[in-house]
Amino acid sequence: MDTHDAKKPLPRLTPDNRAFWEGCREHKILLPWCQYCDRPHWPPGPVCPYCFGDDLTWKQSSGRGVISSWVVVHKAWLPAFAADIPYNAVQVELEEGIRLTGNVVGASNKTLRVGLPVEVVFDDVTPEATLPRFKPR
Amino acid sequence: MSASETDASTPKFLADKYAIVGVGETAFMRGQGSGRTTRAMGTQAVRAAIEDAGLEAGDVDGMLSYSFNDSTFSPMIAGDLGIRLNFYMDVYGGGSSTEALVGIAIGVIAAGMCKTVVVFRSMNGFSQVRIGGTGARSAVPVSGDALHNRAYGWQSAGQMFAPSFMRHMHDYGTTAGQVAMVKVIHSQHAANNPKALYRKPVTVDDVLSSRMICKPLHLLDCCVETDNACAIIVTSADRARDCKHTPALIRSVVGRVCKPRIDMHYQHGPISTVAGYYGKDILWPNAGVGPEDIDITGSYDAFTFTTMLQLEDYGFCKKGEGGNYVSDGTMKLGGKRPNNTSGGHLCEGYTHGIAMVIENVRQLRHDVDDSCPVGADGHRQHTYDYSLGGCRQVRDAELTANLGWAMPGTGSAMVMRRG
Ligand SMILES: [Zn+2]
Repeated sequence: MDTHDAKKPLPRLTPDNRAFWEGCREHKILLPWCQYCDRPHWPPGPVCPYCFGDDLTWKQSSGRGVISSWVVVHKAWLPAFAADIPYNAVQVELEEGIRLTGNVVGASNKTLRVGLPVEVVFDDVTPEATLPRFKPR
Repeated sequence: MSASETDASTPKFLADKYAIVGVGETAFMRGQGSGRTTRAMGTQAVRAAIEDAGLEAGDVDGMLSYSFNDSTFSPMIAGDLGIRLNFYMDVYGGGSSTEALVGIAIGVIAAGMCKTVVVFRSMNGFSQVRIGGTGARSAVPVSGDALHNRAYGWQSAGQMFAPSFMRHMHDYGTTAGQVAMVKVIHSQHAANNPKALYRKPVTVDDVLSSRMICKPLHLLDCCVETDNACAIIVTSADRARDCKHTPALIRSVVGRVCKPRIDMHYQHGPISTVAGYYGKDILWPNAGVGPEDIDITGSYDAFTFTTMLQLEDYGFCKKGEGGNYVSDGTMKLGGKRPNNTSGGHLCEGYTHGIAMVIENVRQLRHDVDDSCPVGADGHRQHTYDYSLGGCRQVRDAELTANLGWAMPGTGSAMVMRRG
């Protein structure tokens, strides 16, 4: 996959998600974690959606999980992805319980299945942006 | 009043006090006839609905529309038709909006804000803003949490909805061939609908051999992008009695019911669950009927599998048995409970749900617009011969359920009864 194509959309940092994307640049998956009820949530938000707690911290995920669902794209929405067809997009249920989006790299699309164990790999697509992707483990 | 004190067969809130009394639409266009403004199409559809109801411009004083900022505001349409409004609102949204706006129309009539409301949708879904991603819609700026998927080339409706179906196949053994039957059945219905865009019946093999768009979705699992406008008229049951046709009385409305979140809806609960799982607990108790009482469904077919997931979560079959339900003949004309007798979005044309409501209004009038001969009284003399090119009126239709889809995390629904 040509991951360095500048025309592909890149993360837009906001106060709510900045820590996640800065963590990716350091090759860590950081999850927003509630200090009151000790749960992570996703996507990052200003308060804990489970208890209204606003004392959030960021904790590092193991980066391991399993594919919870997946697709293989055969018709690109954005022209920047046309050269990658067919490419996969997956949901990964991390060991901490939240479900992250990404791609599986280093494996044939034919091997994708719900329940496939994967772990995160980091793709430094530009000097400023790093995207988490996944590989089978 | 507790549930035990109410008669389960009595609508809890609406009690048949409101009705849809007029319906109208433009042709469904894809290239041929395209290129009109949403204003021209919207005006034509609203005018057709008013005439269908036997009303005049001065009888309508409320207007509602929905769009993705790709339509014309209702006061413009009203002005073009000489309608002075006491109420209007134009809301953002696509599929699932129709039923929600019917609920709003009832609310503003009940509040005395106006008396009779037109709901319309006018869209150049083929020539301008295409759900498949080409055209203006693909140029929408990236924002917010869309980046958690868009950076991975995962953005269009098909791409975003398909994981719900993929997980359903994994959890329940559902097959692509089973949901292909939704397209097959709807194509047979469309063959009996002279205004449908795609009237040629297709087979399961046709669906499975059409090119892959986003595995597990083939081209023929996807609805047909269309230029069109459609309109319906909502008023009180009292006023409905003075209108031209048998009214479609509204028994229950669910408007944009949601999963615990709608972005990244799959964070919560079984991934294949859709908003109808929550909607059913409003729809059926309020209607005073259950799925087993319904004669015709209008389960939104943005894709073949969306029809299945909604029928399942609204309780037309057990969770996990949707693949069987949509492929065993229940859903076809002559079956126990036909779905989208017009051919739906897969074959008639893509209207963001409103044409599926129009179809059920006509079914409840027992006057669906097929090729059966029109009698001296102006009504069609239905043959109930459902062979290709024939009748599509469901015999003795009394109760319909529309199940509107915005996305896995949001949906709407409505039960109507023949007045
Ligand atoms: Zn908490």
